[in-house]
Amino acid sequence: MTKILAGDLDTHVQRLPPAIPVDGEAPVVVFIHGLLTDSLASYYFTLGPAFAAAGVDVVMYDLRGHGKSDRPATGYQLERFVSDLVALLDALDITRPVHLVGNSFGGSIAFGVAAAHPDRVATVIAIEAEPPVRAWTVRMAEGLDLAKSQLTQDAVIDWIAVNNGKHTARLSRAAGRLLQVTSMLEDIPVSDTIADDLSAIRCPVLAIFGADSGLSRQVPYFEAYLASCRTVVLADQGHSVLIERTDETRDAILGWVRDHALGRVG
Amino acid sequence: MSVETTAPVTEDQVTEDTVLAEISGMLRVLLDEYGLDDVEITMATKFHEDLELESIDLVSLSAELKERYGNEVNFAEFIAGFDLEEIIAMTVGQLVDHVVVSLREAARG
Repeated sequence: MTKILAGDLDTHVQRLPPAIPVDGEAPVVVFIHGLLTDSLASYYFTLGPAFAAAGVDVVMYDLRGHGKSDRPATGYQLERFVSDLVALLDALDITRPVHLVGNSFGGSIAFGVAAAHPDRVATVIAIEAEPPVRAWTVRMAEGLDLAKSQLTQDAVIDWIAVNNGKHTARLSRAAGRLLQVTSMLEDIPVSDTIADDLSAIRCPVLAIFGADSGLSRQVPYFEAYLASCRTVVLADQGHSVLIERTDETRDAILGWVRDHALGRVG
Repeated sequence: MSVETTAPVTEDQVTEDTVLAEISGMLRVLLDEYGLDDVEITMATKFHEDLELESIDLVSLSAELKERYGNEVNFAEFIAGFDLEEIIAMTVGQLVDHVVVSLREAARG
């Protein structure tokens, strides 16, 4: 297993080098997964190999508390995830600006890094994600409260097994456990936030949404406030954009990275 | 790298049995992390249903495969044709077959 010490955290990383030569330096794309049931596997089995094949330097990693990275009992405010990512870039000796692809909570981390460390970020690609503004902390508190009360009950897990399959049930049980053994539920709602006018985000942003997910309501807000923004809304699609609409997501992001690459891709 | 851990080089040396034994060894190391060290592993064993491995464990297995077989076996490319549900439902035998075919092709040059 590939583990490196990033800051004080033993971090599971999978890096796929560009499979074809590119003019100049290959663009670096860092993929950030979502909360609780997620891990870098969601990218490893979807976008990762295709990006490497297209000439991208691919970095995938497990967030603190997730997958095969360390699981400290405390320290889950958004700014901890932000500093973990910067420590990872330092540990990997990546100094030029990178493209950050973030899914769901991973997108909030990407926005957080762009706001706090603008020199490290070329662009943000947010899949079904919200910037870490004050209202986001309130919604996260509600969602995490509900998850903890539900996913720690055997009856609920049994219901999920019947209706969504054993695999989802097992992931849900693990998510409930994660909320019991860490302070994630307490920490995330008290994270540092950025101003509602999104002025802290100065790099270009590509935002991809499912039309049927509540998050796509942010489109006018993003377009009004972000300095440079392109939005893509996929029809007849809920929150699981990455898994259920992998091909369209891949094409949209690869095109975006090509347009914004320092080196030329493909 | 010692002689014992070098990938088989001739076509005859690559058999289902040898590859199954090697992959079972890698899986036992993974399973050991979960305290499961006495599970029978056959061609029909399912990664998720029988071994309770999650997709993140298959990422670790993939890294092990790369270390053992080098670039001759490309796990990421193999599973790129599957969706997540199919990856979850995969059997040990499907992976063994892929490794055997890849190594034989490599041995033929």
